[in-house]
This record gives sequence, C-alpha cells and structure tokens, in this order.
Amino acid sequence: MGEIVANLGLGFVNAIQPLNFAMIVLGLAIGIVAGALPGITMLNSIVLVLPFTYLMGIVPALLLMIGVYCGGVFGGSITGILFNIPGDPMNVPTTWEGYRLSRQGRTQYALGLAIMSSAFGGLVSALFLAFLAPPFARFALGFSTVEFFAVVVFGLASVSVLGQSSTAATLISLFAGVFLGTIGTEAQYGVERFTLGVPFLKTGVDFVTVLIGLFAIGEVLEQVVAVGAEAPSERPAARAVPRLPLLDLWPLRWPLLRGTAVGIAVGGLAGAGATVSSFVSYGLEKQISKRPELFGTGHAGGLVASESSVNGSTGGAMIHLLTLGIPGSAATAVMMGAFLIHGIQPGPLLFTRQTEQVYTIIAGMILANVVMIALGFAAALSFALLMRVPAPILNTFIVVFCFLGAYALRNDMADVWLTMLFGVCGFFMRRYDLPIPPMVMGIILGPMAEQYFLTSMVSHDNDLTIFFTRPVSAVVLGLSLLMIAWAALRKTQQRARG
Amino acid sequence: MPPLRLIAPLGGVALAVALYPGTWGLDALARGQLGPGFWPRMALIGLAGACAAKFVEEWRRARRAGVIAAEAAEPAPIARAKLVAGIVSILLYALLAPWLGFALATAVFVAAFLVLCGMRALPAIVANVVIGTIGLLYLFVKVVYLPLPKGDGPFEALTLVLYRALRLF
Repeated sequence: MGEIVANLGLGFVNAIQPLNFAMIVLGLAIGIVAGALPGITMLNSIVLVLPFTYLMGIVPALLLMIGVYCGGVFGGSITGILFNIPGDPMNVPTTWEGYRLSRQGRTQYALGLAIMSSAFGGLVSALFLAFLAPPFARFALGFSTVEFFAVVVFGLASVSVLGQSSTAATLISLFAGVFLGTIGTEAQYGVERFTLGVPFLKTGVDFVTVLIGLFAIGEVLEQVVAVGAEAPSERPAARAVPRLPLLDLWPLRWPLLRGTAVGIAVGGLAGAGATVSSFVSYGLEKQISKRPELFGTGHAGGLVASESSVNGSTGGAMIHLLTLGIPGSAATAVMMGAFLIHGIQPGPLLFTRQTEQVYTIIAGMILANVVMIALGFAAALSFALLMRVPAPILNTFIVVFCFLGAYALRNDMADVWLTMLFGVCGFFMRRYDLPIPPMVMGIILGPMAEQYFLTSMVSHDNDLTIFFTRPVSAVVLGLSLLMIAWAALRKTQQRARG
Repeated sequence: MPPLRLIAPLGGVALAVALYPGTWGLDALARGQLGPGFWPRMALIGLAGACAAKFVEEWRRARRAGVIAAEAAEPAPIARAKLVAGIVSILLYALLAPWLGFALATAVFVAAFLVLCGMRALPAIVANVVIGTIGLLYLFVKVVYLPLPKGDGPFEALTLVLYRALRLF
C-alpha cells in the first residue's frame, strides 16, 4: 500500500508538469465538445487525436487520450440534458431524466448533477485502478462470453422496470429494437439478414441514427405540432447556467455510490463498456427505488446513477489494458495502439518495468476527473446559452444538426434518411405510449447479446445449461429474473391499487 | 371504426408474421449450430407475442370502459396540417439534399421550417438562413472537412460557385 501511495505521489508530480497537464486539459476539452456533438462519438475523437500523439512521449500521449476519454464519456450528457439529443448511446439514461428535469426548469440542477456525478464516478474508478487493479483484473480475466451474455441480459432485463406504460408496450418496443439490430450482414457467418436488396442496409442500421432520430427529431416534431405551440415553449430559457450541487448530492449519495460501483464492475469486464453499465445502473436504481414511478419524469437519482456509472466505467476499462495488456473497450484498444506505437507493451510487466509512467497515467486520470468539473461547467455554460435561442430557431437547427450528425457517421446519406425516418417513428411512438428507451436498448444491447450467446453456444456444444452452471453467470441471470419478477409484481400491485 | 390503438398491435403481429419467412434460409451455413437465423427469429416471435398481448390489453380496456372511453384515451389533439407539413419538410430535406446539395437544401429547409414553427418576420428568417447556412458550411466543410453533398448537375455547379465565393476551397 505504502509503495502504491509513493508511486502515485510521484505520478502526481509528473502529471502536473506543464506539458502533461496541458495535454489533460486539451484532451478533456476535445472530448467534452466531441462527445456533445451527435454523430461524433468519444471513440471517433480518440481515434482522431491518435496521429497527433506520434511525436509525443508515451506519457503526454496517453494523458491526452485519457483526457479525451474522460471528457468524451461525459460530454454527451450536456446535449442530452439540454436538447434531448444524447451525444453517445451511453448518455441515453442520463437524457431520460436530465431532459425531463430541464423541461421542468431545473436545467442548472441537472447539468450540475451530471458534472459532479461524472467526476465522482471517474475519480473513484481511477483510485480503484490505482489500488486494486491487479487482483480485480485476475478475477475478471476468468470471465468468458457466457458471463458477458449474462451481464448484457441483465441490461436488457432492466427494460422491465423502465416503462411507465404497459409491459406489452415495453416489450413491443424492446423486440422491435432487437430485430432492428439484426438487420445487415451477420458477423459470424457473413449472411445478409433482412437487407431487402437495399445496398446500404448491408452494413446494418447504425444505432446512432436510431438514437438521434427517435430522441431529437421526434421531440422537435412534438413541439412543432402541439396545439398552442406558437406560445413560448416550455424550454427554460433564463436560468440554464449550471451550479455546483454539492449539498444536493448528499441526499443522492446512495445512487451515486451504486452507479459508481456498477460502472467499475461492468467497465472492468472486457468488452462490456460504458453503455452497458449506464443501462444496468439506471435499471438497478429504478428497481430498488421506493418511488420507481418517478423515473422517466426527471428523477435525480436515475441521472446520478447512470452518469456516475458511465465515468466509473473508464477506470474499470483501463484495468485490463494496464494490467493484462487486453483492451477492455474500443477506446482503450486505441490507447493500446498508442502504447505499441511507442514501443511499450502493456501488461503485467508494465507495473514493474515502467512504474513511473504507469502511475503518472493513473494520476493523470485522477486529475482529469477533477479538472473535468471546471471544464464541464464551462462547456455546459456555453451550450446552455443556446437555451436562450427562440424555440423556432432552435428546433430548426436541431434538425439540421441531426442531418449533419447522421451524415458524419459514415459520410452516407442513407444514414440521414434513416435518422429522419426514425424521427417520424419516434413522434408516433410518443403519441401512442410506445416507450422509446426499450427500443434503444434493444438495438444497442441486442447485437451484443446475440454475439455472446452464439459464441457461447458454439464453444459449449449448444449446451444451454452452461449459463446456469457457471457461478457468475448463474448469479447475474438469477438477478435478471428477480428484476423481471419484481417489476411484474410492482405493476400488478399498482394496477390493484388502481 | 375501431380506434388505432386496437388496429396497430394487429398490424405489428402481421408485420412479424410477414418477416418471419425471411429467417428460414439463414441457417444453411450453421451446420448443426444455432445459426444467424436464430436471433431474428426469437426477436420476431417476441414482437408478435408482445403485439398480441397489447391487442388483448387494449381490447379488454375497450370492453371494460366502452368504445367511447377508449377513444377518449387517444392522445392530445395536435395541429394535423402542421404535422404533415413538418414530416414532409423533414423527409424532403433528407431526400433532396443529395440532388440540391447541402447548402441549397439547408437554406430552403431552414426558411420553410422556421415559417412552420411560427416565425413570420422576413428579416429574421433571411438572417437565419444566410448566417446559419454559411456558418455551418464554414464549420463542417472548412474546419471538420466533412464532404457534404454538393448536389447534381446545375446544383453542383451552384454549390461550387458558393464554395469559391466563401473561399471554402
């Protein structure tokens, strides 16, 4: 322990050197802005900064990328809260609650909570990385696709607690999303599924197009056609400046801690990542809440849980990279590329051979999450100024930005067409009480579940019992079943109460 | 006529049933393993089942409360003409952009949508069209290097003239 503290101290001294610190700040700024723009994901921005790291040393290069990583996973929640446009799929649960809070005139509160809980989650996970990385990595290394499937099922099961609407409506939305996720060329066998001979469908329906369409375009249409919409909109224009909600966080300490723990645990599973952790923590929070009916209406606990888990997953994902040399997510895979470019092989020997560098990187991650509070407030303030723009102008340019966001995904107009089409679907789903979140979860988590399930089946001779004979998988699947049963029981009780 | 809430779930069942045969030929390469048809098959069965359950739920509700009450549960009124105009303008914007080019399509869309959203002041509309379009072109063509659609034939020529005038090239 003493050795770790000493190494970490040395790491801090290195991390606050002007160049290293500048890289953290620059990375955070790039990450927050890129994360906030729909269509430009955190991963895109990490890939984009990679070439700029060729001429740097490994430490500033990694600090720049870590800054982008930490800022990027948070940035998407700003536009989610302000405009109902999540910058990344991982920011979707934050959007569900944050946007509702914003519509109630509590934008500053929502933004403040998002910033503080992101920073808290990231900070705790970085400390976890510093002190407990090696034993956790050894434990998580024993996981196979069976356990990953169980975790994704847990995420999908949380759909049972999401909807205010009926279970049937929730399931329609979920299965429609799962089906949409199957469109395109299947990964294992290369077979085309439901492409209907349309060339652009061969690459599948990108979930970002669905996300942008359902949330942003649907919302714009809703505002435009609402009777009496000419009157000033519900958008809270005046007080959108975020504030430090330190005292507000105290009553939310348990969702905050639970979200962070889920983020570290799920982020620590190689391949699971921030998106799964945000859905799992949100679902879990709703499940154990005494007032689950308030979720989806602007519930601060849901926002805090999902946001802390998103940034909590960053430390978890780094564990595999630094201790085992296995990237725990797509973002850390790019960082691994940066290590290899500089001739360093991440893995068990990294902590003994490059002790100073590795603890500088960890200290940089801790610093990044602290600096993110200031930069997050600055970014939120800039974006919040947009709330003063009159509703007609804002709505019009939201559509234009959706166009650009969808087009930027692959420079393909087909993505724009799909976005607009899903926008119209989103409008009608809202009108007829078909919940949108389950569809989004289906299209994001469905393909992951399929991949893990089929790989498990191939590896274990189509033996379905494997999911219940491996302890971790059995426990997680058992929890999923409990969650569904508990949700069904609650809905029955609510119906009985009338 | 039965309310849409009763018809729509049946439409969902019909859609799932119609799509199901599309999974039949997918497992040819799987050779005894669960193939690529398994997952969409499960999704479609789930979708059909959920839609059927929704139909039963809505039918029971209609029977309990009477058709009038069920119709009363329809969503809040909306400006239908605006809805049609909004959907058409959004879809046309996406469909015509490759032909007209991003710049022209955006200018036309911004003007039309602002009017649709209730803006009537011509100077404000013109200012938004001009500043918005040029600003976006600078940001996404000059800074981000996004190869936005330039249009076809004369519209491509027009876009190129605009790009040169704005010194984007």
